[in-house]
Amino acid sequence: MFRFQSLDDDCTLEEEDDGLIDEEDEIDQFNDDTFGAGAIDDDWQEEHKRLAELDERDGLGAGRGPGGGDCSPSPASSAAAGRLPPLCFSSSSSGPQGQDERSGGGDLAESLARFILDADPAVAGVGAAERRGPAPGSAGPVLSAPRGPDQPRVLQQPASIPPKHQLPPGPPASGLPASSVLSYQQQQHLLRRGAAPMAQMNSHSIWDNSMGFGPVSVTPGLVTHMEDSPLMSIIKEVGLPKRPPQGRSDEGHDLSERAPPPRSSSPVIGSPPVRAVPIGTPPKHPMSLNHQVHHPTAVHVRAPVQHRFPAPFPERLSPNTLLNMANSPLCRGPFPPRVGPVLSQLQRAQLLNSQVAGFPRGGPGPPLLAGAGFRPFFGGPPPPHGHRMGPPPPHGPPNHTPPIRHNTTHLHPQHRRMLTQRMQSRGGDRVRTGLDRRSRDPYSNLMSQKEKEWVTKIQMMQLQSTDPYLDDYYYQNYYEKMEKRQEKERDSSRKEHTTKLITPQVAKVEHTYRPVQFAGSLGKLTVSSVNNPRKMIDAVVTTRSDDEEKREKQVWNKRRQVLYTVEKMFSLLLEVQDFEKRFVQTPEEDRDALLEQHKSNTEQLSNSLQDGDWEDRVSDEQCVMIMSVRKGKRLVARLLPFLPAAQAAAVVMAIARNLPAIAKKDKQDQALCCLVEPVSAVIQSLSSSALTDLLQELQGGEGQLAAALQNKFGVTLLFLILSEGERMQSSDPNCQLMDDNRWTELVFSVTRELLGVPSSSLAPPLFTPPNLLSLFSRYVDRQRLELLQDKLQISASSR
Amino acid sequence: MNYVPGTASLIDDIDKKHLVLLRDGRTLIGYLRSIDQFANLVFHQTVERIHVGKKFGDIPRGIFIVRGENVVLLGEMDVDKPCDTILQQVSIEEILEEQRLQQQAKQETEKVKLQVLKDRGLSVPKADNLDEY
Repeated sequence: MFRFQSLDDDCTLEEEDDGLIDEEDEIDQFNDDTFGAGAIDDDWQEEHKRLAELDERDGLGAGRGPGGGDCSPSPASSAAAGRLPPLCFSSSSSGPQGQDERSGGGDLAESLARFILDADPAVAGVGAAERRGPAPGSAGPVLSAPRGPDQPRVLQQPASIPPKHQLPPGPPASGLPASSVLSYQQQQHLLRRGAAPMAQMNSHSIWDNSMGFGPVSVTPGLVTHMEDSPLMSIIKEVGLPKRPPQGRSDEGHDLSERAPPPRSSSPVIGSPPVRAVPIGTPPKHPMSLNHQVHHPTAVHVRAPVQHRFPAPFPERLSPNTLLNMANSPLCRGPFPPRVGPVLSQLQRAQLLNSQVAGFPRGGPGPPLLAGAGFRPFFGGPPPPHGHRMGPPPPHGPPNHTPPIRHNTTHLHPQHRRMLTQRMQSRGGDRVRTGLDRRSRDPYSNLMSQKEKEWVTKIQMMQLQSTDPYLDDYYYQNYYEKMEKRQEKERDSSRKEHTTKLITPQVAKVEHTYRPVQFAGSLGKLTVSSVNNPRKMIDAVVTTRSDDEEKREKQVWNKRRQVLYTVEKMFSLLLEVQDFEKRFVQTPEEDRDALLEQHKSNTEQLSNSLQDGDWEDRVSDEQCVMIMSVRKGKRLVARLLPFLPAAQAAAVVMAIARNLPAIAKKDKQDQALCCLVEPVSAVIQSLSSSALTDLLQELQGGEGQLAAALQNKFGVTLLFLILSEGERMQSSDPNCQLMDDNRWTELVFSVTRELLGVPSSSLAPPLFTPPNLLSLFSRYVDRQRLELLQDKLQISASSR
Repeated sequence: MNYVPGTASLIDDIDKKHLVLLRDGRTLIGYLRSIDQFANLVFHQTVERIHVGKKFGDIPRGIFIVRGENVVLLGEMDVDKPCDTILQQVSIEEILEEQRLQQQAKQETEKVKLQVLKDRGLSVPKADNLDEY
């Protein structure tokens, strides 16, 4: 055709001949390739696979930025985009990222791009126009492709298209270096195609701009890929909205770990479900659609594709959704020629049904209506109702649309349709349609049953009360009144029971805290929680009877008293002991004072031991008490040297006298033996009569000696006494020991006792004085002496 | 299914279109998707509607999560019922402009009022601006 024209004399044509002829040639070539033997259809699957792999490899991230046009997954386009910044209108932030990855592979693409740009005047012209056009509109985050994780692959393909909007003269988005499938011819074709939508870019609204971003230079192969794969995905997705609710109920997942359910409900986001009607067709300008329809495209359009959209759209289109839809391949004009009539037919049919600016189910409607419905979102007076009708419906009564206005603008067109339907049939099936609406709402049931129950449970918990009339008086009263009223109103015959809220009645239970205890562990573990805060102090209340308490108290008091006394005496004793040292150190003038003090101290000490009124007589009770305490014994041991002789003797006497008791109390401490030295010292200073007395004391009553003998100290004491007596006798012939028969008698009894006592009960003495043998030999006969010897292990050699 | 009969619960309002008035005076319209025990609300396809006089404008906002304490009132919107014919919808730019003018006028009157009071020796205590609305 063009060739023929060139033969005309029309000069104007001649000038453009080259271009035209070029176009024609390329178109023809393309045609051959497309429809001829070299049709790429056969390879599209492989191509698709390969591209998908590439896309995946290249990553989605780069290409999905705001305005994400630059880094489309397709390597070539991004490479080209990188190289041709002026052509990229959206934020080029993501551009360089993709660029880096594909620098190697992009060289070929880039060279091709340059070639195309430079060589082809038409392309260049288109590019210029494009540059001007979408610039204002590119600000919006229009091309944010969805990042749905469940549809990465699918969306890659379609998403690759929007970015290409911004590369109008088709940087060879198609010029994938690796793929030689897409021939240069195809690229050229794409460029041609890209030029077409330009004509639509005459709208003012930002959405129009974005929608009419321009030609999408996409390879026909890609287009077909994208057609099918998103379609497939959508078909899958159509099934999906039903699944998630079930899925949620099936899984018994914990609410706390709940991950948002797969958002399959918005299959449209980012994906171009419908490419039938170019979104670039603003509702305002239905002519543009027609214009598009007429635009020649040789893309292999799959008309039947249209029918594969059962219900891909959410009922309400969010701005993003609509935008993405708008930007998707609909900008291309591949479909128009074929799709146009089909579309309108579909639309017609559905409009008949709906009487609303119809969103035909799964048809090209959404994009159109998206544009229409969209508009009110973004201000501007609500479009004239005709807009909502989209492409001029053959007989779509626009009159019905006026009632649905502002508050329904953000509704899904399908929803709107239903609304009008409902309005038509007023008063009917409100609930049904409501449910209907909800059942078809892809965003419904975001809150699963479990979650609803959980919230309800929390609300119910707050209603727990042990005394409802106390806690919730007004509600209870109100409820009663209501019930009474209902009773009055209704007949008793029809007993309709309104659902009554049964609040949980919690019985008042005393919860005593019992800390966690493990068997065999020491103490109580502190396992605390909000309801059982840690018990810091374990205060145990022990209940005792009064008598017991008194007795225990008394005992305790006494002991305390004794200890107190001992301590006091000790302090005095220490002072006394230190006197010497201090005396030496103090200067002359103070010595007297010190001496005085010392004296008083000693006096005090002695007094403390004294038994009330009697001088030189130690209180037995006191003595025993003091001796019962280990420290007391030590005290006495240290004290004895400092006491005046008489006092010391008295103390020793007291000890001897109370030896059994003392011995008994000493069982645990075994500290009596510390007394041996001082006692022996005292004994040696004793007079004979005193000694005798002492012995007598030791002997005491019945069995006293025997008891004493059981104790080591006792035995030692006895021996000491005896030894002393012997010494006295042997050393001093004039000692008065013999004057009194007492000594002899005492010794006899002692001997008798010693012989009588079984060896086992005889405690070994600390030491055995050597002169015992001689003592005994004086009083006992040989036989007994030998016995004694054996018993006491007095060796003859130890003389 | 009435989850908690006899009481008010938001469970039954889920997935319905609602209008919520916030403490700062904003009006949001959207689909109530999720709630919790504090009446925190999740709105879907939210539109902020600005009213100035008889005009109003809708700004689409997407998904909104509203903290429960900031809700003044919340009510279901009847999608069947047509919008008021009294109110007139305008574009976003226009309504924002109107709002700005309104704010300006308000500030002017406030200023004048303060000045007048000051002249008379009175002072208006600073209001607690928690609820600016």
